[in-house]
Amino acid sequence: MRDVRFKVENIRFLSGSVFELTLLSAQKLPPMRCGQFLHIETPDRSKPLRRPFCLYKFGDRTVTLAAAVVGGGTAALSRVKKGDVLNAVLPLGNGFTLGERHKKAALIGGGLGCAPLLSVPDCYPKTEYRAFLGFADKASVLFEREFAAKCKTVVSTDDGGYGVRGFVTDAFADSLNEFFPDVVLTCGPPAMLKAVAALCAKNKIPAFVSTEERMGCGVGACLVCACALKDGGGVKYARVCADGPVFALEDLAL
Amino acid sequence: MNMKVKIAGVEFKNPVIAASGTFGFGREYGEFYDVNALGGICTKGLTLRKREGNPPPRIAETASGLLNSVGLQNPGFDGFLSDDVPFLDKLDTVVIVNVAGGTEREYVELTSRVSALSCVDMVELNISCPNVKCGGMAFGVLPKSVEQITSAVKKVCKKPLIVKLSPNVASIADNARAAQGGGADALSLINTLAGMAVDWRKREPVLHNNIGGLSGPAVKPVALKMVCEAYKAVKIPIIGMGGISTPDDAAEFMVAGAAAVQVGSANIFCPSAAIDLVNGLTNLAKSCNIDSIGELTGSLKWH
Repeated sequence: MRDVRFKVENIRFLSGSVFELTLLSAQKLPPMRCGQFLHIETPDRSKPLRRPFCLYKFGDRTVTLAAAVVGGGTAALSRVKKGDVLNAVLPLGNGFTLGERHKKAALIGGGLGCAPLLSVPDCYPKTEYRAFLGFADKASVLFEREFAAKCKTVVSTDDGGYGVRGFVTDAFADSLNEFFPDVVLTCGPPAMLKAVAALCAKNKIPAFVSTEERMGCGVGACLVCACALKDGGGVKYARVCADGPVFALEDLAL
Repeated sequence: MNMKVKIAGVEFKNPVIAASGTFGFGREYGEFYDVNALGGICTKGLTLRKREGNPPPRIAETASGLLNSVGLQNPGFDGFLSDDVPFLDKLDTVVIVNVAGGTEREYVELTSRVSALSCVDMVELNISCPNVKCGGMAFGVLPKSVEQITSAVKKVCKKPLIVKLSPNVASIADNARAAQGGGADALSLINTLAGMAVDWRKREPVLHNNIGGLSGPAVKPVALKMVCEAYKAVKIPIIGMGGISTPDDAAEFMVAGAAAVQVGSANIFCPSAAIDLVNGLTNLAKSCNIDSIGELTGSLKWH
């Protein structure tokens, strides 16, 4: 991992509040894996803390993050212009790992949680994928075209305003008789993860989840980004930034 | 131009030390730069037995700072001995192990074991962490208990003892004198200031522990004042901390009375903060024609 000096290459809004930010490095970037993340400062270091975002898209010298404006830091990032300088530490975290035995994989994402899953098919092209993307309503739907370009993609909305009506996990469960995956990769809100965990346990499918938690240093030294994992009858805390962000879903103390 | 300083008989190659809780045991930042170039490192606070720490959220951003409530998550002495001591053994910088506890017996037991290790150069006594429900805050509040715990730990401590003072007290000068009276070889201050962040839309505190410790540039004025007061109250050397990131910050603390400084939150904001400070402070001293960095210590003249 390195602290890299980036220049903003492009910023593009996907909806009223969600944007893609592409950063360009003068030097070749260190090797990166799907499921890893970067820790980026706010413009002019207006906020003290850096913000973590998954590696949504990445290449030799570019990296793209996808973010929603939820507060002061993301608002500042959403206002950058081409050529602005931003430092970011990357790559961080363990990322997703697939093996030879994973012939079929289901990608199950909720809301912005779909973002860390997008680069998986490019990193592991030998696996066959199906993507299940869930959103609250039509206005919230994101990334459909990006995923559809890589694999068969099913979009669900809770209110049925677009795609399949219902939870993303219902669409996944309904497809099992015709697409039974060797592994599930998932990211999304806690309620969704609980449903994914139950389905995977019931069907004996191993699952891996990309987690997040408020972060400090982002490199594993300060211990604030604690993720509760099962430990016998109790819990132990792992670092999302260094031990994760990817954990076995069954290990999460949800 | 001499950057070396000596505190309680221990020589530091420069006065910049990484603060406890922000640096792990030194491994992570070692990926960005050679940590041996720092004057010293303070390890994460240890307790006798392993501690899981508080449930998240453990951090809240504030204006010019952050609140933390980690709750002293640490491997305990046994885990430290097997997993971290071999790494510390290989370091070529001053290693200060931060020791915490719940009861006087735990502090004494842990200090006795830690100070016997050859890789440990100094012990920093943490009687001020506000994130521990029993012991941590209590010992550091009243001068009488500061003196008592210092004295008990000093009896079994085989290395120079630094007592880390809390700012959440009535009189930092009284507590500084109490630590000196108990046998402290040096003081370090300040630990974090007790504070809160509120999510009003959810009607709840941001931190799971409700209350946390404030650090970063926001606390620098409070820390500077307390370093001044402590310097006037005692003869033993003082290590200053609280929102330091730039060479000017470090020089201010030294002039106020610090023989060395610790850098904590700055590492969280930027991974190269500590090494940048070593280089920047060296350049600043050279450009100001300072022969020996230690000459800054305590040179403040009150109006």
